[in-house]
Amino acid sequence: MQRLLVVLWPSFIVAGVAEGIFFTLIDPRELYLFGEPVHFSTIATYSVGFLVLWAICAASSLLTCFLQRTPGEINGGGCGQRLASLAGH
Amino acid sequence: MTIETSGSNAATEQAQEVVLFEVHKKIQVRAVSGIFANWRWTLVWFTQLLFYGLPWLNWNGRQSVLFDLVERKFYIFGLIFWPQDVFFLAVLLIISAYALFLFTAVGGRLWCGYACPQTVYTEIFLWIEQKIEGDRNARVKLDAAPMSARKALLRGSRYAAWVAVALWTGFTFVGFFTPIKTLSSELFTLSFGPWETFWVLFYGAFTYAFAGHLREQVCKYMCPYARFQGVMFDPDTLVITYDEERGEPRGTRRKGSDYRTQGKGDCVDCGICVQVCPTGIDIRQGLQYECIGCAACIDACDQVMEKMDYPKGLIRYSTENAIAQHWGWKDIAGHIIRPRVVIYSAILVAITAAWLWGLATKPVLRVDVIRDRATLAREVEGGLIENLYRLQVMNVSEKSQNYVMSVTGLDKIEIAGDSGIEVAAASNKSILVQVRVPPESGKKGSNVIYFDVKSRNDEKVAVHEKATFLMPQ
Ligand code: SF4
Ligand code: SF4
Repeated sequence: MQRLLVVLWPSFIVAGVAEGIFFTLIDPRELYLFGEPVHFSTIATYSVGFLVLWAICAASSLLTCFLQRTPGEINGGGCGQRLASLAGH
Repeated sequence: MTIETSGSNAATEQAQEVVLFEVHKKIQVRAVSGIFANWRWTLVWFTQLLFYGLPWLNWNGRQSVLFDLVERKFYIFGLIFWPQDVFFLAVLLIISAYALFLFTAVGGRLWCGYACPQTVYTEIFLWIEQKIEGDRNARVKLDAAPMSARKALLRGSRYAAWVAVALWTGFTFVGFFTPIKTLSSELFTLSFGPWETFWVLFYGAFTYAFAGHLREQVCKYMCPYARFQGVMFDPDTLVITYDEERGEPRGTRRKGSDYRTQGKGDCVDCGICVQVCPTGIDIRQGLQYECIGCAACIDACDQVMEKMDYPKGLIRYSTENAIAQHWGWKDIAGHIIRPRVVIYSAILVAITAAWLWGLATKPVLRVDVIRDRATLAREVEGGLIENLYRLQVMNVSEKSQNYVMSVTGLDKIEIAGDSGIEVAAASNKSILVQVRVPPESGKKGSNVIYFDVKSRNDEKVAVHEKATFLMPQ
């Protein structure tokens, strides 16, 4: 649960800021998706934009979280512990 | 060797995690009354009247505060911000940040204790909890009691009331972005748009989780401000302090007994300051990072002191220096003006003045000229060369305006067709303009020309924009 918050919360904040900057500079009516003008309503474009940004930022947070852990922790529950107990801990 | 280290590292980290979870017990906050509680309630009322009320207020025939995302215009009473004005909003954010720094340097976490939405909504949710489930003792008992019909009813009604407030908050939030009157009529005809529904629920869920369940954890683990507030503190910053010299050694005693001869200080060790603390800390251990400066412990302790006939202020607003050197209010006030405060204030005043000046002189007319890319130059009747331009004319004023445009820069240059433009109040118009020139007026390739757009009623409202005119090779 805490890990989840650590990933979702910072990415939420950054996505909010990014959304603000992106859509100030770019009018959603001028966006193109796969070569076609975006045909969603403006509100939908903003909303989808935010969710996509959030997902991207969350992916980055997730990776940070992942890289912060030691290989021992990642390689299977208890791998680190087993080694530790072998070493007499 | 390496393996062993990583293994034990993992073990300690796990142990820490377990501790993190264990430490977090649900905090049942005891209600408190007193002058600081009154201040907080005043601010709850003030901020929430603004929040819930503003979208319903009209100004010049439109919603007073509306961040119209569809039209890409922000209305704040008489002010209208276009995407081009993003600079003003950015500076406004900087001003708010500086104001926060200044307040923090002088008065500590005043923002957290009285005005932060986290505090305000927690206060509202706590109040509901209190009204439905009773005071702290009753709630602690209810928490411990096995599930019964009564417990289910109390819990159920508390959650229902929370959900109602949260939904209303979510609805109001969306009402700042889409006209709230439209929203409310959609609500009654049940024709809410899918995204509007989504955002109402989303914001509502946030409010519910933050104010109902996460509470002090938001301040402890999630709030960026709480993390760096320490750098704005110095020994002359007002903080909530327990007067250790006066209070210790703490101990229980009978009212009226001569506790000083028993070697005791003023603290009766009733623990009420801990019970009222929304973050569950004991202020008597000194200033802690978790303390949001809500002053609930001051109110609580003052009541105890009053009952015991001791002077108030065993816990009070004071500064590190003041406590160490036994200063009174005069000395504390005398130390408000110090380099840090002077610098923060100077910057704040300078930016605010520049911002206001910028607002006052904000142009009321804006014109963007874009050459039509589809057609380059072409020859039209009479052997003239024509270029096409798209003019984006933005009327930033509150009245509808008549403009007249002209073009200069080349000999015998002229606009074909109507040169008058009417633009409604606070809106923009995009028009296609044909500009014609005899071929001998310019050189081959690009030539500089100028568009002038002037208001018919006000001489001073005029815009001079550069553009290029292409002559065919
Ligand atoms: S710590 Fe953060 S969330 Fe908590 S009251 Fe202060 S500003 Fe608000
Ligand atoms: S220690 Fe006092 S001022 Fe600080 S958060 Fe707790 S009750 Fe509020």
